[in-house]
Amino acid sequence: MRLSPQSGEIIDRSSPLPFTWNGKPLTGHVGDTIVSAMAASGVKVFSRSLKYHRKRGILTANYLDPNTILQVDDEPNVRAGHRRLEAGMNVSSQNTWPSLEFDVKSANQAVGRFLAPGFYYKTFISPRPMWPMYQRVLRRFSHGGRIDDQVTSDHYDKRYAHPDVVVAGAGPAGMAAAIAAAKAGASVMLVEEEYRLGGHLRYGSADDLEALATLLAEVEANNNIEVLANSVVGARYDDNWIMINQRDPGHVRERLISARAKTLVVAAGTIERPYVFEGNDLPGVMLSGAVRRLINLYAVKPGERAVVFTANPEGDLAAQDLSRAGVEVVEVVDARSGGDLVGAKGRGKLSTVEVGDRSVDADLLVTSVGWTAPTSLLNMAGCRPVYDQGAARFVPTDLPDDVLVTGGMVGDGSTEQLVAHGSVIGTNAAARALKIRARWQRLTPSALPPALVEVVEESAPDLLPQAHPELYRASTHGFVDYSEDIKSKDLISAANEGYNLMELNKRYTTVTMGPIQGKLEVANAVAIHAEATGRSIAETGTTTWRPPYAPTSLGALSGAEMDPVRYSPMHQWHVARGATPLVAGMWIRPEHYGDPAAEVRNVRAKVGIIDVSPLGKLDLRGTDVPKLLNFVYTNKWSKLTVGSVRYGVMCAEDGVVMDDGVVGHLGEDRYLMTTTSGGAGLVWNWIDDWLQTTHPDWDVTMTAVTDGFASINIAGPNSRELLGRLTEVDLDKEAFGYMKVREGTVADVDGCVIWRIGFTGELSYEVHVPAGYALHLWKALMEKGQDLGVAPFGVEAQRIMRLEKGHFIVGQDTDGLTQGFSLGLDWAIKLDKDDFAGKPELEWQAADGVQSRIVAIQPVDPTVVPEEASQILEGTDIVGRITSSRMSPTLGRSICLGVVADHLKEPGTILNVRLGNGETAKAAVMEHHAHFDPQGERLRG
Amino acid sequence: MGKSYEHADAAPKTRVSRIRLPTIHDQGTHLPTSKVPLRIPAGRKFSALSLVRKGMTGGDWPLVWRHHELAPTYDVVIVGGGLHGLATAHYLAQNHGIANVAVIEKSYIGSGGSGRNTAIIRSNYLTPEGVAFYNRSVQLFEQLSQDLNFNVMFEQRGHMTLAHSDASLRTMRWRAEVNKVQGIDSQVIDPDEIAKLVPLMDVSANTRYPILGALWHPPGGIARHDAVVWTYARSADAAGVHLHMNTEVTGIEVKGDQVIGVQTSRGDISTPIVINCTAGWSSIISDMAGVKMPIHTRPLQAAVTEPVKAFLDPVIVSGSLHVYVSQTARGELVFGAATDPFASYSTRGSLEFIESLAGHVLQLMPSLAKMRLLRQWAGLCDMTPDFSPIIGPTPVGGFYVDVGWGTYGFKAGPVAGEQTAEAVATGRIPELIKAFQLDRFEKGALTGEKGAAAVGH
Amino acid sequence: MLLIECPHCGPRNGTEFTYSGKIQPRPVMKGSDFEARAEWRRYLYEEDNFAGFAKERWFHGNGCRKFLDIERHSVTNEISSVSPAGEAS
Repeated sequence: MRLSPQSGEIIDRSSPLPFTWNGKPLTGHVGDTIVSAMAASGVKVFSRSLKYHRKRGILTANYLDPNTILQVDDEPNVRAGHRRLEAGMNVSSQNTWPSLEFDVKSANQAVGRFLAPGFYYKTFISPRPMWPMYQRVLRRFSHGGRIDDQVTSDHYDKRYAHPDVVVAGAGPAGMAAAIAAAKAGASVMLVEEEYRLGGHLRYGSADDLEALATLLAEVEANNNIEVLANSVVGARYDDNWIMINQRDPGHVRERLISARAKTLVVAAGTIERPYVFEGNDLPGVMLSGAVRRLINLYAVKPGERAVVFTANPEGDLAAQDLSRAGVEVVEVVDARSGGDLVGAKGRGKLSTVEVGDRSVDADLLVTSVGWTAPTSLLNMAGCRPVYDQGAARFVPTDLPDDVLVTGGMVGDGSTEQLVAHGSVIGTNAAARALKIRARWQRLTPSALPPALVEVVEESAPDLLPQAHPELYRASTHGFVDYSEDIKSKDLISAANEGYNLMELNKRYTTVTMGPIQGKLEVANAVAIHAEATGRSIAETGTTTWRPPYAPTSLGALSGAEMDPVRYSPMHQWHVARGATPLVAGMWIRPEHYGDPAAEVRNVRAKVGIIDVSPLGKLDLRGTDVPKLLNFVYTNKWSKLTVGSVRYGVMCAEDGVVMDDGVVGHLGEDRYLMTTTSGGAGLVWNWIDDWLQTTHPDWDVTMTAVTDGFASINIAGPNSRELLGRLTEVDLDKEAFGYMKVREGTVADVDGCVIWRIGFTGELSYEVHVPAGYALHLWKALMEKGQDLGVAPFGVEAQRIMRLEKGHFIVGQDTDGLTQGFSLGLDWAIKLDKDDFAGKPELEWQAADGVQSRIVAIQPVDPTVVPEEASQILEGTDIVGRITSSRMSPTLGRSICLGVVADHLKEPGTILNVRLGNGETAKAAVMEHHAHFDPQGERLRG
Repeated sequence: MGKSYEHADAAPKTRVSRIRLPTIHDQGTHLPTSKVPLRIPAGRKFSALSLVRKGMTGGDWPLVWRHHELAPTYDVVIVGGGLHGLATAHYLAQNHGIANVAVIEKSYIGSGGSGRNTAIIRSNYLTPEGVAFYNRSVQLFEQLSQDLNFNVMFEQRGHMTLAHSDASLRTMRWRAEVNKVQGIDSQVIDPDEIAKLVPLMDVSANTRYPILGALWHPPGGIARHDAVVWTYARSADAAGVHLHMNTEVTGIEVKGDQVIGVQTSRGDISTPIVINCTAGWSSIISDMAGVKMPIHTRPLQAAVTEPVKAFLDPVIVSGSLHVYVSQTARGELVFGAATDPFASYSTRGSLEFIESLAGHVLQLMPSLAKMRLLRQWAGLCDMTPDFSPIIGPTPVGGFYVDVGWGTYGFKAGPVAGEQTAEAVATGRIPELIKAFQLDRFEKGALTGEKGAAAVGH
Repeated sequence: MLLIECPHCGPRNGTEFTYSGKIQPRPVMKGSDFEARAEWRRYLYEEDNFAGFAKERWFHGNGCRKFLDIERHSVTNEISSVSPAGEAS
C-alpha cells in the first residue's frame, strides 16, 4: 500500500509506469524500484527458494536482496530491489512451476530434512546406470533465470580513465572525501552503487536530508568531481587498476570503466546482517534498512502489525518510521536489555512472532542486529580484516599507501563525524595521489613539467565502531544463506561431520556461494561455524571476498567487439571478384575465386597473380647484417652477392623449426627479409631480442615494412611476358636469373622490389610494391595480361601448387617438436658455422640420428586422398602421419607430404595410412619431395 | 623416452650426479606390495538409505576424516593435501597396503589447484602416451563414486573443442585420429552437428572467427572437484592415513643422496620417502630437497556466472579464442582460459582476463550478453616446457615428485595418484608414466604434447 | 593490471609489455658430451621459480619495442627496478 507523501520520497507520483508481474498488469511510479512498485501493489511473495521452494518476500529491498532476484524481459537474475522500474517491463518469478503461488517442487519442504547440504554426495551413487537420469533431475533444480536465444541488440562500451582519486561509495564520508580531495587539487571519480548519492542519509531524518543537500550542492559545484551513480567499483587490481561498472549511462546499456587511480578511497559503508532464527525467511521478516527504504524513499507501507527486534539506534529509527507510517508496532524487543527472539511462524507468510514464551501476532518482523563491512576491495589490496568482538564486526587493517578507507567501514558516528573523517581521508588521498602524479610526469619524457602541488597529510579524527552485542543466532535454527537455502544447523552438522575449517564448510554446504556471494550472510556463517567448532569468530576468520564486488554483465566486460583485422590493399578487389574469404590469423585473405583447381591449371599453363601481402617483410641495414643472418638462419649468408636472394630456415634455441623465408641483398649493407605470414611478428620480435640483448654491438638497423609494401606473385609460363609489359627492368633470363633480385619501376610505380623466386614451381616473380600503389599495379597486371590469360589465384591454389612441389609449410608439416634435420633439407643446415640459434641441438640431432622425417607420399590408389592428420600405422603403433594432402589437378592423382619414423623414409616404402573411415590405404614414400617437376626446370626457365 | 628406471641408473658415472636416477632398490626403501580392499566401515557408508535414516533420527554423520597428532615417523610423507596427494595416499593404502602415511597440507585439503580448477575431465589428448594416461583417469573417474562410496557427480555430457581455422581443424583431426587408433570415442564434427548439440552457438560463417568444425569427445565432462578431493581424503583416512591440515612443510632433510625427514610447522618427521604433490608451489618444495626442476609457476584464472536454467550440455573449448565454458549442475557457467601471460605466485586475478573471456564467450554465444559474472579467482600452475607432467623419482633418493601439472592436473588426479603410488611401492616406473620422467628434459626427449595448442583443456 | 615505468616511455600499462622469462645467460657450447647437453638444456628449460624478487626480461612491444630488465616480486608483483636490457645498475 502506498503511503501519503513522505518528505524524502523519490517517486514521482505524477507519472505512472505500467508493467506486468507474472503476466498481471501493475502500475508503479517513476523513481520506484521494481520491488517498491510491486510492494506498493500488495505483492508479498517474490520468489521460491532454491531447494525447498519456500515462499520468499522482501528482505533488504536493495541490490543485495536474495529474495527479489527476478526475470525482467529477456534479462535473467535482475536485482529487482535495486533496479528502477521502467514502463512496459515484463517481470516474472524465476524457477517456479507451474506458478509462484503453487509450486510443485515445494513438495521438497516435506522431505527437506533429507536434503541436507551435500546430500547429493551421499546418494545417487548406485546403481551406476541410473546416474544420467539423476543428473537430469538435479539439473532441473538449478536456480536462476532463463536466457533467450534471441541475440541482444544492446550496446556496451568501454572507457579508460586516469583520475587521481577514485572514491567508492557516496555516503556522507565518501562525499566528504571526494569534496576534500577535489579541493586539494585532485581529479576525483565518485562512484555510487545506488541511483542517488547520500547513502543512509537519503532515508534519514530531516537533519540528515539537510546535510545531504549541503554535500550534494558541494559535489555538484566542484568541477574536479565526476559523479558516477548507479555504478559500482567492482574490483581493485594490481597497481590500483580499478574496475568500474557504469550501468545504464545513456546510449549504451552498460559501460566498463578501467581507471588507473593514483589512490583509492573505499567508503562502501556497511551491510546489514539478517538474524538467524526459526522462520527468519518467512515473507514479512525484513531488515531495518528494508523498511526504512520502503517507507521513506518509496512511501510503501511494509505491513500492518509489526514486531521490531533491535540492537542499535538504526533499529530504533526503524520502529519510529513504522509508527509514523501508521504501522502498529506491537512490540519492540531490545537486545541491549537482554531481549531476544525465539522464532517466527506462519504458512507462507509471517503470522506470529515468538518472543520468550509469548506468541505475538504480526505480519511484519523487523530485525536490526548488526553490520558487516564489505571489505572486498580492501581484500584485493592485501588487507585482512580482523574481528572486533566489542563491536561484533570485522574491521579493516593493514592497507597499502594507495588505498584508504573511511565511513561506516571504519566506524560509526554522527553525520558530522563521518564528514570530518571523510574530509581528512580525502585530503590525504589527494596528497598521496598528487605525489604519484608528479612522479609519473617526471618519468614521462614528453609530459609538461610537473605542477608541484604539495598537500600536507593530516591525521584522521577517531571514528570507532560502536559497541554492539554479538547477535548471530537465536536459540532456534534458521536460514543463514537464503540464496542457497542453507540453515544454521546445516553448517553445524557439516562441521561436526569433519568439514570443520570455515573454507571446507563453505565448500561443502555452498554457504555464501550463491548470487549474493556472502555479502549478507558471511558473518553469520563464520559465527555459526565458530559456534560449531568451539573456536572464536576471530580465530575462525572470514572467507575471502572474490571480485567483482557486484555481478557484472558479460556484455559490459566484453564491450564492443574490437578485434583488429588486417586487409591487403587489394582486399576490396578480391571481394568484388567474389573471392571466398579465409581467416588467416589477423588477415582476411582470398581462399579462391570459385575454382581452385582451375586456378592451378591456369598458372601451370598461362599466368596467374596472387596477393601475398601478408608475407612478413623486414628491412635490414648495416654492415653486420650478414652476421645477423648467419646467426638467425641455419645456412650461410656471408657470400650472398648484391642482387641475389637466398632461402633460409630459422630454428629456435631448441632446434625446432620456427620460420622460413628468403632474404634479398638489395644493395650495399641493405637487405630485405621475408618471413611467413603467421611468423611475421614473432620473427620481428625475436631478431630484436637478439640484437638488443645479445649482440648490441652489431651494426644492424631493422624496420618492419610488412604493411609498407604489398606483395604480388606473378606465376606461370607467361609471367615474364606479363611483367615485362609493365617494367623497364631487364627480365631476360640471363640478366635476371632464378633467385635474383632487382629494384625498379613497375607500372610507373617507383621503389618496387622484384625477386625471382617461386613457391608454385613455375617461372615467377614476386613484386613488393609500395602499398599505396598496390591496387594500381594489381589492376594493371590484370589489364595488361588479358591476352596472356592472366587470372587471379587464391591461397588454396597456392597450397596445391606448393604441395605439388613438395614445399613444407612451417606449422602444418612441422610441429612444436620438429627439429631442423627432420625437414629433409640437410643442405640448408651448416653445422660448420661458428654459432647460430639452435646450433647445439641440431648438432646433437645430427649426431644421434634423426628420428622422423618429412617425406613426399603418394597413395597407391591415385583417387584416394587421405585427410590431413591421417595416421600412419605399423600394426597398432603410430609411426607417422599425413601432414598435407590434396588431389593434384596437374598430375590427376592424390599427393601428400607426411612425417614418418626414420626407418620408413626410404623411397618405395609402402605405408599403411588409416583413413578417417577406419579403412587402411597403402601409400608409397617418394624419392623427391616434389611430386611435379622435381628438377625445377620450369622454375628456372 | 621409454627408458627403464634401471637403464637410467646404468648411465656412465661421469654424468653430473643430479642427472642420475638411482633405483629405489639401491636405497633399501623398497616397500611390500599387497592388495588391500577398501573398507569404509559399514556405519560410515553413504546411501540413500543412510540419508533417510539420518533425516529421521537427526543424528550427526560419522566423521568424514579424523584429526591426528603428528607422529614422529611415517613410511611415506606426502607434501600437499590436494587431489594428487590424497589420491596417492589412497592408492598407497588400497593397492599396496602402505598406510603409515602422512599427508601434510599447509591450509585445508583441496585449497590449492584442486579447488580452483574448472573440473573438466577428458582423454582426447594428442600423443599416444597422453591418451593412454588420461584414458585410465577417465576410467577411474567413471568408477570413483561406486568404488569409494561418495558421489563425485561426474557428468559425462561431452567435450567439444572448436576449430576456427584450417590449422586448428587439422589439429582436431590429428587428435581424433590418434584417439581412434587407441579406441577413444573422439571425432571431428561439422558446424551443423555443433549447432544441434549447442543451440546457442553462433555457427554462422560471417563471424570474426567462424567455426569450421569441432573435436567431439562424448566421454568428456565435468565433476565436483571438491567431492573428488574429499572422497580420496575420506578413504585414505579410513585406511589409516593421517591427514594433517594447517601444517606447513618448512624443510626437507636430505642426508647424502637420501631423504631422511621433513620439517613442518608442527614438528619434525623422520621418513625415508617424501612425495611432492604441491602443483603451483612444487619448485619451492623441490628446492628444499635440492632438486631443480624445469618448472615455472603461472596463475590460471577462472570465473563463474550467476546461475541460469540449464541450456548447455557439453564442455565447450575454443583454443583460438582462449576460452572454455561449461554449465554446472547448479546452472552457473564456469569459464577458464589460458594461463596468465607472466610467471607469478599471485592469485589476485586481473581485469584483462575477465574482459577477454567475456568477449570471447560472446563471440561464440552472443545471447549470453546479459548473463553476469559472479566471481573470478586464480590458481597456480606449475608449467613444464612440454605441457606434460613429471611423475616419478628424482636424483635424491626417496624424493618423488608428482608435479608439472600445468593446467591439466584435475583430470589426471586419480591416475596420477594410482601411478605415483605404484612407482613408490614397487620401485619400478609403470608403463603409463614412462614418458613423464624428470630426466627427459636433459635427454632432450620432450613429449609430443608440446606440439599441441597451449589451450586444450 | 601492472604499471611498468618504462625508462623510455614513462609509466605504461602492463599489457603493452610481454614477459620473456628470467634473465639467463646463453651458455657457450662446450661440446656434445652429456654434461654439455645438460647445461644447454638447463638454459632451455630450467629457470628459477622462487617466491620473491627475481630479475626478468620484458619487451615493450606495444611501445618503444625495447627489451627491459625488470626486478619484480613474484608474489606481490611489486616492481623494484626497470632498466634497459643489459644496463641494470
